[in-house]
Amino acid sequence: MADSPEQIKKAVKSYIVIGLVLFIFTGVTVAVATIPALDIGVHGFDVMDMILGLAIATFKATLVGYVFMHLNHEKKAIYWIFFGAFVFFAFMIILFMAAKSDPIHYNGFNFGLPY
Amino acid sequence: MEIPYIFTPRKDTGMVNSKIAIWLFLASEVMLFGGFFSSYVYLRLGADYPWPERALPVLPGLINTFVLIFSSVTVVFAWASLKLRKWRMFQLFMSITIVCAAIFMGLKGIEYNVKWHHQAIRLSDYTILEGHLGYDEKAIKADGKKHEADVIHVNAEKLTFSTVRFHKPWVEEMLRQAKANNAKIALAEELQIEGQAIAAGTELSVELLEGIKKNHLDSRANNADVRTDALRAEWATAKAKVENVGKKGWELAPNINIDPAKIEKLLKTETSSVTFAVTPATNLWFKHRDIKEGAAQSRLRDDTAIIGKLEDSPVVLHNLDAIDFRHVVMKAEEKGIDPVVAIENTWLIKNSEEAREAWEWNKAQTAKLEKELLEKYGLDEHNQPKRVPTLTERYRIGWKDFVSKADGVDKGQADIHTSEEFMGPNYELRKPAHTFPHLSVPRELVFLSGKFTPAWNTYYAIYFTMTFLHGLHVIGGAIVLGYYLFRGKKMYQSNPEWLANRVEVGGLFWHFVDLVWIFLFPILYLM
Repeated sequence: MADSPEQIKKAVKSYIVIGLVLFIFTGVTVAVATIPALDIGVHGFDVMDMILGLAIATFKATLVGYVFMHLNHEKKAIYWIFFGAFVFFAFMIILFMAAKSDPIHYNGFNFGLPY
Repeated sequence: MEIPYIFTPRKDTGMVNSKIAIWLFLASEVMLFGGFFSSYVYLRLGADYPWPERALPVLPGLINTFVLIFSSVTVVFAWASLKLRKWRMFQLFMSITIVCAAIFMGLKGIEYNVKWHHQAIRLSDYTILEGHLGYDEKAIKADGKKHEADVIHVNAEKLTFSTVRFHKPWVEEMLRQAKANNAKIALAEELQIEGQAIAAGTELSVELLEGIKKNHLDSRANNADVRTDALRAEWATAKAKVENVGKKGWELAPNINIDPAKIEKLLKTETSSVTFAVTPATNLWFKHRDIKEGAAQSRLRDDTAIIGKLEDSPVVLHNLDAIDFRHVVMKAEEKGIDPVVAIENTWLIKNSEEAREAWEWNKAQTAKLEKELLEKYGLDEHNQPKRVPTLTERYRIGWKDFVSKADGVDKGQADIHTSEEFMGPNYELRKPAHTFPHLSVPRELVFLSGKFTPAWNTYYAIYFTMTFLHGLHVIGGAIVLGYYLFRGKKMYQSNPEWLANRVEVGGLFWHFVDLVWIFLFPILYLM
C-alpha cells in the first residue's frame, strides 16, 4: 500500500503517465476505426476491427484497474471478489451466445413443440 | 452507532470495511453492466435488420472519453492530495472532477436531444428516410402552434365511444378541434339512462360520458347479480327435486337454465358504447401512434371508432437528410434479387427526382471508391478485389454525403462545421445550396415513423439503456464526490485518514464508471 509521502509522490507520477497512455490509446482506437489507411482486415468494419477495438479497450481498462484502482497492490480477497464477478460475466455472455445458436422457432401456432 | 474499522484495517480482512464493501458493490456492478453487454451481443447477433454500424457522432463520444479519463486522473490526484495533507489541492482536483462529470452529462444531453428530434421513417418497401419534419398547416394544437407533419386527418361524421375505455384528454381534444371548426358533436340517438331519456342532439361532454359510464357499470353489476341469483335459485330447485337426489352436479348442469322471461324486468340496460354525430362532418386530426387508420373507419387506442373518410395525411420531411437502402438490400438478397434493381424499383427512386439524383451521385461515388481501392490494394488469389466499399458506403446516403453532393466534392470531403459534428446538419447554413430535399410521403407507404428513441429499433433501445444507466452512475458518483468536497472538511479535521479512505472508495467507483465507458465508447460509437 502506497502510504508514505514519498510513495504517494511516486504514485502521482505514474498516474500522469498512465493518464497519457490512456489518452493516446483512445486516439488510436478512433484512428483505426475512422482513417481508411489505418483500417485492418477488410475495408470498413469487420471482425478484425472488433478484435482490435476490444483489445485496446481491455488494455485501457486493465491500466485503469491496476493503477488507478490500485489493483497492483491489493489484498487477495479483492481479486477474488472482483475477478470472480468477471468469471460469472463470461459465463453469462457465453450463455447468451449459446442461446443465439439455439433459437426457439415460432411458427405461429405451437412454439415449435412437436404437437 | 459508531461504524467500526473506518480508518484502521480490520484484522481478519486486512482492510477498512468501506473498501471491502465498495469492491463487493463493484462486483455486483460488473454483473449489472455485464447483463447489458450480453444483451447487446444477443441483439446484434439476432438483428433482423442491418445493424447501424458507426451510426453515432464520434466527436462528442471521443471528447467524453477524454473527459472521463481526465477526471479519473484528477480523482486519484485528489486522493493523493489528502494523503499528503494538502487540503487546497484536494479541493482543486475534486472540483475539476465534478466539472468533468458536468461536461460529460452536458454532451450526453446534447447527443440525446439531437436523437429525440431527429425523425426516421421506414417505408413499406424497407427504404429508411431520416430528417426533420415540417409542420402540418391544418393540425393546430391547443397552444396555437402547428403540429409536426406526421398526423392522421379524418373527416369525422360519427364517433362511437367505448363507455368504459374512453380516454378523457382525447375526448377533450376532439371537442376542442370540433369547436375550432364550428362543428357540433351531439348524441346521435336518444338514450335511456336509469329510466330517464337523454335526448338525441345532446352535446358531447366528458361529464355526459362519465354519467353513461357510471350507469353502464352499475347496470352491468346489477345484471350480473340478477343472473347469479337466478342461476342459484335454479340449482336449488333442481337439487330439491326427488328424482335428482344423489346425482352429481355435472349430471344436473345441462338441464339448468335461467328463464329469460323471469329476470327480464330486473335487468337494466347496459350501454357499452355510445354514438355521437358530428355536424357538419369535420376534420379531426390525431397523433399517428394513437390511431389505427382505415379508409372509411378508424379506431383510436381507447376503442373510439371514428366513422368518416380518411383524408390526405402525408408525412412531410422538410429536410430529408439521409436515405438508407441497406434494409432494402438485405430483403432483396434474401429473395435473390439484384440489390440495385430492388433499390431502383423503390417508391422513393421512382417518385422523387432529388432522391434519384442523390442515388445516382452515390453510385458514381461508390464506383470511384471501388476503383481507388482496387488500384491501392489489388486483387487477391481468387482474382477478387482485396478491398471493396462497405454496405454503408454503397447503400446509405448520409447527411454528410448530401453536403458533399451539394458542395460538389467527393464523398467524405465535405466541409463540416464543428457545431454540426455535435448537433447534426445545420439546415439554415445548408439552405442556399439546396442540400437537403423536401419530401412528402403518402401515409399508406409509411410502415413506421418515429424519432430516434429506444422505440425505433433494438440498437437504439440498447444504446439508450446502457448509456442512460452509465449516465446515472456518473451523476451518482458526482453527488458522492461532491459531498466529500463540500462537506468533507469536518471529516478531514477530525481525522484526515478518514476522509482519504472515503475519497479512495468514492474514487474506486468513479474509476469503475470510467472503465465501463472505455468499453461503451468503442462498442456503441465505433463498431
